[in-house]
Amino acid sequence: MKSLRKNNWMGYLYILPLLLFSTALIYYCMVCTVGVSFTDWNGMSKEMNVVGVKNYVKLLNDKTFWTAALNNMIFFVGTVFVQAGVGFFLAVLLKLKLPGTSMFKAVYFMPIAMATSIITAIFRIILDPTNGALNQFLRAIHLDFLAVSWLGDKRFALFAVIMVNIFQWMGFSMITYYASLMSLPDDVYEAAKIDGAGFWRTLVSVTFPMVKGTTNTLIILGIVGSLKTFDIVKLLTGGGPGRATTVLNTYLYEKAFNDFNAGSASAIGVAILLIALVMSGLQVKLGKEE
Amino acid sequence: MGKKKMKAAFLVYLILILCALIWLLPILTALVKSFHINGLGNYLYVLTYEKISYFRVIFNSLSIAVVTALGVTLISSLAAYAFSKMEFKGRRLFYGMILACLAVPVAAVTSPLFNVIKVFGFLDKHIGVIVPLVAFHTPMMLLMTKNYFDSIPDELLESARIDGASSFGIWYEFMLPLGKPIIANVMVLTFIYTWNDYLVPLLVLRSEENYTVTLAAQYFMSSTYQSPEDVARIYAVMMLLTLPSILVYLFSQKFLVSGITAGSVKG
Repeated sequence: MKSLRKNNWMGYLYILPLLLFSTALIYYCMVCTVGVSFTDWNGMSKEMNVVGVKNYVKLLNDKTFWTAALNNMIFFVGTVFVQAGVGFFLAVLLKLKLPGTSMFKAVYFMPIAMATSIITAIFRIILDPTNGALNQFLRAIHLDFLAVSWLGDKRFALFAVIMVNIFQWMGFSMITYYASLMSLPDDVYEAAKIDGAGFWRTLVSVTFPMVKGTTNTLIILGIVGSLKTFDIVKLLTGGGPGRATTVLNTYLYEKAFNDFNAGSASAIGVAILLIALVMSGLQVKLGKEE
Repeated sequence: MGKKKMKAAFLVYLILILCALIWLLPILTALVKSFHINGLGNYLYVLTYEKISYFRVIFNSLSIAVVTALGVTLISSLAAYAFSKMEFKGRRLFYGMILACLAVPVAAVTSPLFNVIKVFGFLDKHIGVIVPLVAFHTPMMLLMTKNYFDSIPDELLESARIDGASSFGIWYEFMLPLGKPIIANVMVLTFIYTWNDYLVPLLVLRSEENYTVTLAAQYFMSSTYQSPEDVARIYAVMMLLTLPSILVYLFSQKFLVSGITAGSVKG
């Protein structure tokens, strides 16, 4: 009997389904995206002409593209830092293991199990400027000036989308920090206690530096996640009002399926793929270092 | 000292409860308002709605999510076994190629994906949703499974090998049972992600009888919801549509949570 570790052609057999059903399709889509980005294809017809880098030149001069890219950046910064901050703080509190901890954990984590499609539906009704529960509540406690058109006003729409996204994904940061806190040795805390460090001091100068790896992972996952953002924007605002909440993916979708401009859409796709590949490379590298 | 500790515990609970309220209120609002005006009648309205059958929609999502989860688990556990326990030429290259797929957003490649589905004749069919979702979920699940398989000692497998077990036998009789925790994670995670996916069903499915939960939710949202009566009905729709995933969550919370941490901590 041959050892599994010896040069074993059987290995190919076991990875064949993966290569056929996953890798082939994903690479085909990536190669096609790059190819189509140099053409004027409309996404449907048999006709297609090579136009060189025209789509890219147009894209670089397209104000909406840069607005979308900037919105992605704002979305990433807003989501990741608030989410990581709140998640970290709650994880620290949960780690105290007071009675009822698992119930709180379950509550914070629940929105992840719910579909974005349903969460956005609920929030669209709650955030309705006149009949929504949020503004009714704000008016009831005489904060009328806060009862704005959350999703319909250019100044607040992106902020509101980010808030809903944090609502859905905060539990993810929390649970990641929680797992990483559980793996820390207890003696560090003992040492901090003996040194007379209080709760906040320990939190900022002992606990937080020790979960730096987790924070890095969450930041990179945040960038990748922001590049994947589609449903939440499409379903809450459709990218509007105007271009206030347009992100790269919703802009791409619009180009491909509303304007039938597969060439331009693919050029946006290439931009997204490039950033995403660099980020996933970083993530794998960071994961190895830990 | 005792008093100080009590005060601290009180503060901690205060913060935890306040946050829990923030996270519960939107869903509680929806739940309470779903009984407004017509009470259970709102639910009856949804359950008997003719154009989109609730049970049909749940069945559609359920079958897509189950088949996708099984497919992903099978494919990723076979490949993880090879990547973790076998030596073959190009192993590292293949693994690197697959990991590069991790970050590819489905949304960035919608046009070519749509065309592949069309060419295969999968438009408006459930298989057209299953195939892309299996493809795009597998790399992450492979990574998780391989990391777990790496912790299973080689010696165990080699001794089984000497006793005459075939390589497939080792996968079936050792890797799968020993890898049960990670396999449960992969199944639950893929099930939930697939159940909640909106983009792929949006691209592929056309007729109402094939709608998934996520498409059905948007179908009801696109109708007008001006009167309080409509709002109550829409809330009832959302509660009914989200009920199965909440149930799955409550029963599989442990696996979902550990699955998410396994995927992110090890990246």
